[in-house]
This record gives sequence, structure tokens and C-alpha cells, in this order.
Amino acid sequence: EKMASKVSVVLRPVKSIVVRFCPFEPNVESTRKFLQCIYHKKVQATNTNCEVTTDVRHDGSEPVVDVMFADGDRLIMKGAHLTTGEMLTALASRCNAKDLKEEQKSKKKNP
Amino acid sequence: QEDGYTRVLRRQAEQTLRDSRMVAVCHYNSMAEEDVATLGHYLRRHNIHLKFVLNEVIRPVLAQSKYRNLLPLFVSRNVLLVSPEAPAREMLRVLKGVPQVTLLGACIDDTILSRQGVENFARLPSLEASQGQTVAALSLPSSQTSSLLQRGPSYLTALLDEHIRRLRATGGATELPRGTGGASEPPQGKGGA
Repeated sequence: EKMASKVSVVLRPVKSIVVRFCPFEPNVESTRKFLQCIYHKKVQATNTNCEVTTDVRHDGSEPVVDVMFADGDRLIMKGAHLTTGEMLTALASRCNAKDLKEEQKSKKKNP
Repeated sequence: QEDGYTRVLRRQAEQTLRDSRMVAVCHYNSMAEEDVATLGHYLRRHNIHLKFVLNEVIRPVLAQSKYRNLLPLFVSRNVLLVSPEAPAREMLRVLKGVPQVTLLGACIDDTILSRQGVENFARLPSLEASQGQTVAALSLPSSQTSSLLQRGPSYLTALLDEHIRRLRATGGATELPRGTGGASEPPQGKGGA
């Protein structure tokens, strides 16, 4: 939760997030912390239409975060060797970039 | 040097683990207080108790008990669902309505199960039904053997019955079955066969 307040993620351009991990593996800590950060009230409040799904497997697979954006883009983050902060920053930067693009588009339409 | 409070928490955790038949570990995302209370209420109806645990407290307890293979599950925030019975079906139904709590794994009757294992366990028939199915399966070969053994003699019996019937139908006085006496009257009732 500390990280969530430092890196504020605006989930407006995100359609859905799927977090897939195998809890008996040793490398899932950062992915689980990332999941906790996205489920925080403030982050959820930025987009109530964003579906966050958790997929718990038991097949020794790598932890993966699959983000689908509203404009069709897809961000896949393999959490085995990433820290929570890195994943949050990556998601936040892409969301901000897409937000800026949307604002510029809407400004062009309504000058 | 261990804190007194930590020691108390550890002892409570040991007590809980010892008394419960089912221990389910769930990943806990932040929930509103009233949602936690509602969830606790629904679970308590099925005799399942919610226990929030700190990883530093529970890890040494688990390492020394028979649950040490559950250790990798205890990273970031978790909640334990413990119960002296094993109501897996009801627990899954309640958790389906709560997306913030994700079932990771469970230990039911000294068997560690993954999430898929818990779902399969919930789908099993009751103990009485399984016992009935086992008894039926065990008695099947013997009943088949007895019906096979009886097939020959019963076929012979049927053939003899038919033979008698035809003889009577043709009014044959020659070959009446023994023990009936008197050829004039058709024998009443079944014969010796």
C-alpha cells in the first residue's frame, strides 16, 4: 500500500487485468504485492469498469500480469524477476501516456 | 529475544492449527471493514472461522509443524479460514462472491490441496454415498457369477416346462409326468419341475 500511494496508477485506459500465478512457487511475492496494490481503494476508484481477475494455477508456470487496454494494446509483465515497484511504474507510465493521447485527441475534436 | 505478545500469538496459532480439520490459505486484498464483517458472518454460519495472521508470527509455527509445505504461500497479506469440519463446497460458494479474497491452497485432513484440489474435493459425493457405491461394486462380480451359474439349469427348466405344456395341449396321454396319477384328468398345478 505504501507503493500504491507513491506510484498513483490511473486505470482509466485499462479494460482488464489478469494476474496469473502459482502460489506454491517461490517467485510470486512481487506479483502478489502488485495484485494487492491494484486492489487498493484509490486505484480501483480511478476506473470501476476495469475487471481485475486472479488466476491461481498449480502447474509451476511463471507469474504473469496481462493488461488489456481499451484501445486494444496489451501489456504482458512476467513477474518472476521484476519488483512490484517496477511493474507499477511500467503500468503507470503507459496509462499516463495513453491518457495524454486521449486528451490531445479530445482537444483536437473540440478546440 | 522474543516479544511476549508474539509468543502469545504463536501459541494461539498453534492451538488453531491443532484444532482444525481444514485450514485454507487465502490471499487477502484490502477490503472495507463492513465487508470483512459480512464475510466473517457468512462463513461462521458454516462453522468456518476467519483468522488474520502475520507472516512473521505464523512462519516459525508452520516450519515446526506438519504444514511446512504450506510455507511458500505465506508472502504478503493472507487470511486463514479454519474449520473443525471440512465444508469445502460452502466455502467456495461464499468466496465466489468475494473477489478480494483469493483461495490459494488448503490442508484438509492432513492432505495439502491446491485450489483445483479443493474444487475437486467439493465435488465428491458424501461418505455414505461413496460407501454404498463401493459395496455395490464389490458385490457385482459375485452376483454376476451366481446368475451365470443359474443360467444353464433355468434354461433346462424352461425347456421342460414348454415340453409339458405342448404335451398337454395335444392331449397326449402317453407321457405324463410321474406322480400325478390318472390319465383322464389333466394334472392340476405345476408338475415336479
